[in-house]
Amino acid sequence: MSRIGVFICHCGENISRTVDVERVAAQVGTLPGVAFSTDYKYMCSDPGQGLLKKAIQEQRLSHVVVAACSPRMHEKTFRKAVESAGLNPFLCEMANIREHCSWVHEDRDEATAKAIEIVGMMVERVKKNRVLPTITVPVTKRSLVIGGGIAGIQAALDIADAGHEVVLVEREPSIGGHMAQLSETFPTLDCSQCIMTPKMVDVANHPRIKLYTYAEIEHVEGYIGNFQVTVRKKARSVDEDKCTGCGVCMTKCPVKKIPNKFDQNLGMRPAIYVPFPQAVPNTPVIDRENCTKFKTGKCGVCQKVCGPGAVDYEQEDQLIVEPVGAIVVATGFDLYSIEEKPKGSAIKGYGEFGHGKIPDVIDGMTFERLASASGPTGGKILRPSDGREPKQIVFIQCVGSRAREKGISYCSKICCMYTAKHTMLYHHKVHDGQAYVFFMDARTPGKSYDEFWRRSIEEEEAVYIRGMVSRLYQKGNKIVVMGSDIAVGVQVEIEADMVVLATAVQPQKGADTLAQKLGISYDKYHFYSEAHAKLRPVECATAGIYLAGACQGPKDIPDTVSQASAAAAKVMTLFAKDKLEREPIVARVREAGCVGCFYCQKVCPYGAVEEKEIRDRQGNLVKVVAYVNPGVCGGCGTCQATCPSKSVELDGYTDEQIVAMIESL
Amino acid sequence: MTPKNILKYAYYPGCSLHASAGEYDLSTRELFKKLNIGLTEVPDWFCCGATPAHNVDELLSLSLCAKNLELAEQVDGDLAVACAACFSRLKTTQHVLGESDVKRKQVEKAIDAPVPLNGNVKHLLDILARDLGLERLEQAVTKPLAGLKVACYYGCLLTRPNDVPNLDCVEAPTIMEDVLKAVGAETVAWSHRLECCGANFTLSRPGVVVQLSHAILDSAKSAGADCIMVACPLCHGNLDIRQKEIEGVYSTQYAMPVFYITQLVGLAAGLGADKLGLDALIVNPMPLLKQKQLL
Repeated sequence: MSRIGVFICHCGENISRTVDVERVAAQVGTLPGVAFSTDYKYMCSDPGQGLLKKAIQEQRLSHVVVAACSPRMHEKTFRKAVESAGLNPFLCEMANIREHCSWVHEDRDEATAKAIEIVGMMVERVKKNRVLPTITVPVTKRSLVIGGGIAGIQAALDIADAGHEVVLVEREPSIGGHMAQLSETFPTLDCSQCIMTPKMVDVANHPRIKLYTYAEIEHVEGYIGNFQVTVRKKARSVDEDKCTGCGVCMTKCPVKKIPNKFDQNLGMRPAIYVPFPQAVPNTPVIDRENCTKFKTGKCGVCQKVCGPGAVDYEQEDQLIVEPVGAIVVATGFDLYSIEEKPKGSAIKGYGEFGHGKIPDVIDGMTFERLASASGPTGGKILRPSDGREPKQIVFIQCVGSRAREKGISYCSKICCMYTAKHTMLYHHKVHDGQAYVFFMDARTPGKSYDEFWRRSIEEEEAVYIRGMVSRLYQKGNKIVVMGSDIAVGVQVEIEADMVVLATAVQPQKGADTLAQKLGISYDKYHFYSEAHAKLRPVECATAGIYLAGACQGPKDIPDTVSQASAAAAKVMTLFAKDKLEREPIVARVREAGCVGCFYCQKVCPYGAVEEKEIRDRQGNLVKVVAYVNPGVCGGCGTCQATCPSKSVELDGYTDEQIVAMIESL
Repeated sequence: MTPKNILKYAYYPGCSLHASAGEYDLSTRELFKKLNIGLTEVPDWFCCGATPAHNVDELLSLSLCAKNLELAEQVDGDLAVACAACFSRLKTTQHVLGESDVKRKQVEKAIDAPVPLNGNVKHLLDILARDLGLERLEQAVTKPLAGLKVACYYGCLLTRPNDVPNLDCVEAPTIMEDVLKAVGAETVAWSHRLECCGANFTLSRPGVVVQLSHAILDSAKSAGADCIMVACPLCHGNLDIRQKEIEGVYSTQYAMPVFYITQLVGLAAGLGADKLGLDALIVNPMPLLKQKQLL
């Protein structure tokens, strides 16, 4: 016979204002199996927990029900208290009489009656709770970081500096990401290269960082503490061990006119190239699509001129399996290209702004390359069409962002600040030029941010026009920008020489595919979802996977670096223990009933269901059944709801328990 | 032709086509006859409310269109509409009443009949480009408009309002260009395809219309167009009838004929000037058409 203790909390007045807690305690005390019931003002406080522990020991309680707030709030608290009193923590359940009762009802009598029923249900359920042992899994103390931008670099350096090995995988031939493309950075205007490149070198030189560039994630298996990641190292056609980075191959390559993506296609590069001179590693790649040798079989100049003999046309993609315990996803962002409508995209395009049709309408990143000292114009602001210096320049903010009818409703967060910066860079370089900014409103929350924005207006003479541009068109040599100034209530027309669009921040292309490989969730824009918007902002719902940077949502550099260090800290927390404790609320398969249909495997969001062979004593295969790996199971119960033969059940939520709860009503 | 290829429509000409835009009505009927497309005028149709009604009273404007939609149910086939304003209002009414049960009930009370919300309302362009199809349109051409450079002018209403499922992309429509290319004409890329001509300010504030329509004519001319093509009687009025006045105000000379879509397509299909109402155009198109050997 169970001896259940029921503890009713007043929650200050949160519960007792509407629910007559004394009556609940008295009524519940009469239920079969309940040996003790009481109420207290703050059950979660130290005296409250003390009362609970004392009652367990004095009353020799077998199970505990705490009637208070949501289990999300304090289930852990009370289970810990129960454990310290010598009971198995999973023999304690919470009855939610706050969110589910006192907060949503007004009538005291009815609310009290409901509270009694809620507690009564939990009493019936807890009777059938089993003693659950804590599950432990081993931890591989190596981490994978996906993405070699500032987020990935910061996370990798932090984890490696803490003494753990890191595998850093970058899709492009060099690490550096978007930050390496930037000219100067807000709000201090320090040169991006100056603060970025030393970190890139640190990554390359770190004894505990294994760097794969020009590589992608092929496949991910396993679970927290025990992932097996297959990395596809794409054929570089250059042997990294032999190459000295002398660059002769690049200067001799006869194909010279390939638009350089790093320079937003403004500059040109050869077919064998490094994306930019400060690249890490400084090992070239052959762009096989444009290389004459690969296209026609003739040429081979780079191989002939290469002193160390590093050029290797025969090189093939390599698949490398890396065991890791944690994964940091830092795949970053891309700017929404309004030139063409991406296929199947919900975004409807911005035909009226002429991007892709009018050569002097560019996006923010292209302006960065124009303003960058290492850019294709050597830092001079020049029009892509004719190389003239633009004397009137118009910046348009919120292109794509915050436009529900276009398919993106979110704010891209960085554009207000980078546009303010662009007006300053422009003013520093073109003294007799005039910058105009069309904006909806300036969003500058951040340390020293608003001051920076004000400076662009007050000291750097940018003219801000509150209103949006309806459209623009080419007229001769000029671009006529038509918009409204809603502050004054007039239509504005500016004949500009160049237009810069602050296009929306989007996740990298292929973000959804990667998420599916990793088994993490993403929102409708393909930004990765954190486990909790406020309290678990760097963790995925999938255990052991963490997020850093703009892959989770638009972010500037300070926020990205903060989140990267936070993700690294989470990884270190995970690696601090040799074995991992997991909550044992997991699904279990009743093998006798399982027919091996594997519907559970199809619906499991955690990939926890495996196949298990049942053999007789002679070793003959009897059947194949489902097996839930307790190290991976997230305890969601989807398999239980799906199983046609009722052969899989979640501990604590068995059909028997649910029926008992219903019958108590 | 197999029976399913026979196209038949209820026809809603709208007020202008029975008045100032008689040549649009004439050329539409003649062209459709030529293309073997059936047109049966909706019996007893009346004004859609155009742009003024919905500025005054929403219920009135919705009810006018709703009643017309109800009348159109008496005739077989989708509803073919020539005027851009009628088209926009009828589509908007279907959309608004589909979204709001409250408004639908009010309107049904006002017109004392259920509103048909599922009937298709189609602009002539839609019928030519999609129902008939560009391929069949091409086959019907006997006199390709080779060498004629046309500025296709959409104006405001063909593709707007934005949230109503409409004729084509709001910002970068191509349907007019598609149709004209199918009949052999050359279309120019120009900046003012979607600008407003001033619309019904033509009566209350003609100065506004002169300014806006001038910008359109100017843009078409500098893009190298020989003529402008429209699908709206009001746009036509502003660009064609007021062209002399605009030339006077801006001391310039455009002599830019402004055609209706059905006139140009009709020309390519071999219809003569009398069946297209070309003599009703204020800016004389004959010199241009003769120069291009199209007449």
